[in-house]
Amino acid sequence: MILSLHHFLMLSAIIFGIGIYGALTRRNILGVLMSIELMFNAANINLVAFNHFLYPERVWGQGIVIFVITLAAAEAVVGLSLVLSIYRTIKSVYTEKMNILHG
Amino acid sequence: MLELAPILHKAFQSLTVWVVAHGLTPLAAWILAKAIQAGVIVLLVSLVPIVLVYAERKVSAFMQARLGPMNVGPYGIFQTVADGIKLIFKEDIIPIGSDRLVHLLAPMVVVAPVFVCFAPVPFGIGLVPIDLDIGVLFIFAVSGISAIGILMAGWGSGNKFSMLGGLRGAAQLVSYEVPRVLSVVPILMLYGTQSLRAIALAQEGRWHGFLPKWFIFYPVVGQIAFLIFLIAAVAETNRTPFDIPEAESELVAGFHTEFSGLKFALFFLSEYAYVFLASAMAAVLFFGGGDGFPAGGLLPSWVWFLGKTSFMVFLFLWFRWTFPRLRVDRLMHFCWTFLLPWSIINISLAGLMILLRR
Amino acid sequence: MEQSLLTLIFGVMAALLIGLSIVVVTSRSVFRGAIALTAALGVVAGLFVLLGADFVAASQLLIYVGGIMIIMLFVVMLSQRPRDHMDRQTNEQWVWGALFSLAVTCALIVQFRAVYRGIFATLPPAPTTASVGRLLLGDMVIPFEAVSLVLLAALVGAVYFGLSKKERGR
Repeated sequence: MILSLHHFLMLSAIIFGIGIYGALTRRNILGVLMSIELMFNAANINLVAFNHFLYPERVWGQGIVIFVITLAAAEAVVGLSLVLSIYRTIKSVYTEKMNILHG
Repeated sequence: MLELAPILHKAFQSLTVWVVAHGLTPLAAWILAKAIQAGVIVLLVSLVPIVLVYAERKVSAFMQARLGPMNVGPYGIFQTVADGIKLIFKEDIIPIGSDRLVHLLAPMVVVAPVFVCFAPVPFGIGLVPIDLDIGVLFIFAVSGISAIGILMAGWGSGNKFSMLGGLRGAAQLVSYEVPRVLSVVPILMLYGTQSLRAIALAQEGRWHGFLPKWFIFYPVVGQIAFLIFLIAAVAETNRTPFDIPEAESELVAGFHTEFSGLKFALFFLSEYAYVFLASAMAAVLFFGGGDGFPAGGLLPSWVWFLGKTSFMVFLFLWFRWTFPRLRVDRLMHFCWTFLLPWSIINISLAGLMILLRR
Repeated sequence: MEQSLLTLIFGVMAALLIGLSIVVVTSRSVFRGAIALTAALGVVAGLFVLLGADFVAASQLLIYVGGIMIIMLFVVMLSQRPRDHMDRQTNEQWVWGALFSLAVTCALIVQFRAVYRGIFATLPPAPTTASVGRLLLGDMVIPFEAVSLVLLAALVGAVYFGLSKKERGR
């Protein structure tokens, strides 16, 4: 069985699904952030796989992946500093407690 | 005369012939050869810290006008072996409130990357285990994984002080990674490659007949890069003057307080292995590792490589007993407000040099 | 034989990745989930190497594992409470979440198998650093500069969040 494009795409789809499950069901907000990172990585696997199998002489997929990694870093930094600020205020990291703007 | 590269090449050819005669493809011979090389490197990187610990104790003793270990073996050369045996037989204590799995895995995560990092390092001319095209970036990327191990060690200890020590250690490691990587960028710019073997080869030759073409002799750029790399490497390996995370007089022993026996030995091993790695990298990047009197002449290239690495290791050992310890916030301040701007200025100077060359 | 070796390596890495991701989303201790995520990111870097993207693999290890996960572990360690390991980590809507993610996954897999079946690699892997560099500073220079502005904004924002109330100058 030779390695083909759809193997990598199926793998990234599974990881994406697991990430969606985590983002929807985790009570800890850090768990939600980690699941979002999983989804980012699933998309990255997709990009590099398409680049390698369909357009191997150009590197656009890898360039976009560099941007995705960088933007994920920026988003993680801001999100985590927000989480720290929230923790300092309400002393909890569980999402059901973060409902002050509710209603 | 004693060049290793032709011997290894002949050995690999005879291995391929033997493997093909047994019905497998040449790929299997290649895999077998690489596995043997990996085993040799693991052995080397495990044995070098034994020599380094003894060297450190002797060098520090002579600098303090005393003799150091003299009892175990002639001039105390088996001292480290005795220490190792003692550590192996110590009881492995795991604190109650800690996460047992994390406590078990933390020393492994700290030690494992350093073995992998030696793969692209050229131990002489033609003696690279794997000539990676991203050699420099690979070493920096994989050695950053140890910081995760330090965080795991801090968490797995189950007490707040060790956790603080782990946090401080990881913060210091991550902060000093930036000037360390940026100080090497001028080398990549001027030689146009990330492969360590190619960088070592590009430093052959002499200027004006006597000055070797090593990177440290490049005007201004080489010296600044070397100094920043040296300081950042000392900070990365958690050695004095940057050893707040593990200093005995500060947070007891920092993040590895609660690790005893073989796990503590692994932390110790990792520190000296990283010192050896940083020295080997400096020898290759700045001193043209393997360059010296040509092969077949007086000394083979791997002896030159070992000599330059030993000189760098001596610098590391010398620093420890010369400078006082830096406080944590002074340490961070030094990194972000002094080393980082100077490494960026260095990159622009290297760009200027490339422009002037044309 | 080389192809079957590659397929074996891919199978092992895929199984490892799926197992680690399941640990990330179901583990009771957030710290263990974060460690599993770090390992999963390392396996993804290995997958990048399998796909011939060596520069991207090293960048993934350097930035994701050596940067983002360390920050995340910092925040996990700084926001822990003593009772945390006894709480359940999944909220009440887990059934709908599981159904939705299962539906999305199946839809994606069916679509991928239908459209992209049977495409094989044509070129052998080659070093990509030079071409990625040329691309980033050539065709993609505008997003490159824009991303540097985004990083600057993120830096300023993170530092601002780290200041105390007095230092913020309110």
